[in-house]
Amino acid sequence: MNVTLTGLTEGMVYAAFALALVLIWRSTRIVNFAQGSMAAATAFIALSLIQNGQSYWVALIVALASGFVLGAVVERVVIRPVEGGPELNAVIVTLGLFVAIQALIAIIWGSSFESFPAPFGLEGFQVGDSRIAFTPNSVFVIGAVVVTMALLIALFRFTRVGLAMRASAFGQEVARLLGVKVGRMLTLGWALAAVVGSLAGLLIAGGEFVYPAYMDSLIVFGFVAAVLGGLDSPVGAIVGGLILGLALSYVSGYVERGSALVNVSALVILMVVLLVRPGGLFASSVARRA
Amino acid sequence: MSLFAAATVVSSVAACGGGDDDSGGGGGGGGANEASDIGITEDSIKLGAHYPLTGVAAPGYSEIPLGVDAYFDYVNENGGVYDRQIDYIYRDDAYNPTNTSQVVNQLVLEDEVFAIVGGLGTPTHSAVLDFLNSEGVPDLFVSSGSLLWGDDPETNPYTFGWQTDYMSEGKIIGQYIAEEFPDAKVGLFLQDDDFGEDGEAGVREYIDDQIVAAVRYTPGNTNVGPQIAELQASGADFVVGFNVPSYTALSQLTALQLGYDPQWFYSNVGSDTELVGRLLANFSQGAVGDASVLDGMLTTDYLPTVDAPDDPWVQKFQEIWESNGDGSDLTNYKLYGMSMAYTTIQALQAAGQNPTRDDLVEAIETVGAEWEGPLLAPFRYSEDSHMGTGGMSISRLVGTTAEEVRPVMITDIGDAEIEEWDGEETAPPENGIPDEPAFNE
Repeated sequence: MNVTLTGLTEGMVYAAFALALVLIWRSTRIVNFAQGSMAAATAFIALSLIQNGQSYWVALIVALASGFVLGAVVERVVIRPVEGGPELNAVIVTLGLFVAIQALIAIIWGSSFESFPAPFGLEGFQVGDSRIAFTPNSVFVIGAVVVTMALLIALFRFTRVGLAMRASAFGQEVARLLGVKVGRMLTLGWALAAVVGSLAGLLIAGGEFVYPAYMDSLIVFGFVAAVLGGLDSPVGAIVGGLILGLALSYVSGYVERGSALVNVSALVILMVVLLVRPGGLFASSVARRA
Repeated sequence: MSLFAAATVVSSVAACGGGDDDSGGGGGGGGANEASDIGITEDSIKLGAHYPLTGVAAPGYSEIPLGVDAYFDYVNENGGVYDRQIDYIYRDDAYNPTNTSQVVNQLVLEDEVFAIVGGLGTPTHSAVLDFLNSEGVPDLFVSSGSLLWGDDPETNPYTFGWQTDYMSEGKIIGQYIAEEFPDAKVGLFLQDDDFGEDGEAGVREYIDDQIVAAVRYTPGNTNVGPQIAELQASGADFVVGFNVPSYTALSQLTALQLGYDPQWFYSNVGSDTELVGRLLANFSQGAVGDASVLDGMLTTDYLPTVDAPDDPWVQKFQEIWESNGDGSDLTNYKLYGMSMAYTTIQALQAAGQNPTRDDLVEAIETVGAEWEGPLLAPFRYSEDSHMGTGGMSISRLVGTTAEEVRPVMITDIGDAEIEEWDGEETAPPENGIPDEPAFNE
């Protein structure tokens, strides 16, 4: 019971991060490995504010705003020069960025563990005479992720900006011919993805410890969750995150020495799903893959 | 040259206002200083170490070399060892064994240190164990309680442990539970490596039948929910943790989520209340208490801690830290470093005026078991064992102070008996620097 609940909450966190990857994939067709360290950077900005007496919510808003700026700056300064070349170039650049930002965090904020406050209580709800592994903060995490997912779906489905972003991602030249300002759309895509990433970073941090590399395992799990869900479906990202969270929690809780097998299990799950459904569980039609 | 060295001693003693005439130097000697081995010159001794200064293991552990450095600095100001100044170089391995190999190579081959002292960590130091022993570099006082450093001196003749090993610690904890909590249902919360395994083996020697669950976490995986849930489901009402401090905080946090409230007993490594309290502090905004969640927790000690400001050793080290430290507060980690540095000075003095690397090893084997120092119980050094101290006391955290609930017990690995240590408490020498005679005089 508690193993299941822990898994659900962890899964939501993976899902949040997977959402950010999906967003950037849909709007730029790049997998952004730097997402984790970018999110960590904004989490540290939030932590500094909180430690200086600001409320959690002020810190959250500032962190999201700095995520937006950071995403835009990274796209303009670092990614723009390699855009249009082979996609692999941009991906490798994000890998380099991932290491660089992490080092920068260590230089600015130090590399020690810090606890990160949660906006809501961390004591589990009382059910009957036992407490369950489900806290007010878990409710907040799940709510925030679901709302973010809904907003993303709305953005891509129902708005002109969303359409333009998708168009720029699929066919830059065609989009440009049709009057879409492709450059701006790409910047916007990166900025929005960084906001979602930063939100994921803060949700993950709440009631946990942060240090420059705290997002590392989440990059891997978030990526697995996103690929499980087909990489371009927000709903898929959430379902993928939940499946992964539950599976890993069961492995850790019920298998002898399971804690050591968690990372291996993530790989096994990924391989099985890709063998059975190469496009992921929620992939849209194969023809659309660029 | 010797005139110059003498002048330096006089001026540095005068400068720090010391009044002790025979400061430093150990036994008499009398002859001239020679460059008797690699890393030793007429007026200096070069020592090296590896510590995690960055990365996951850095909190806490990165403070240890600060303590070592401050103590050596103090000894240098007071004339060094046989008028030799200690040149202490420590490098960052980020708790990554690959880096450890690299920095230790650098220390041995480029810096040409006389000895490695206090290298930290089981996985990290394991990576250089063979290298140091095949090169014949003394590998003193490894900062880890693994059995590797001392139980097989034939294979690793140059390596020495220092702190109480995890198995002896487990035995002392096990016996305490068997006698004081015979009805407790015990759960074990273990790091999934040698640390947890040695500790578990020790505990099981005494309370195998009381243990209802043993769960293991992998360092780096911060979700310990499934493990704590399993302990809770097993009905354990007494949990013994062989874990690092960040996992003390994580286990407390998770237990709070689950409303799980057993008696906690954290082994020495994971029980630094200051660090755990700091880790938990921010959560108070999320409606979690701070270090007070640790109230009532049991733990073990092999060194006096900053929680005992009346201890004469703590007072002496506090003084030295204030004069030679970096101005920050003294912590248990810095205290650990200073204590280890104290033993290092004892070893260097005992090795004689113009020691070789082999002299250093022989000195520790021959007289190391007799040294008095800040540790609660003596070392077990001999030709057959390079294990460090084998003694520990048990205390309970009450508010912010620790209350001793069991006096110092001593034991050894394997099926050695546990006995109460009947030696007297030691007091530091007046100037805070040991004065050991050379072992071969």
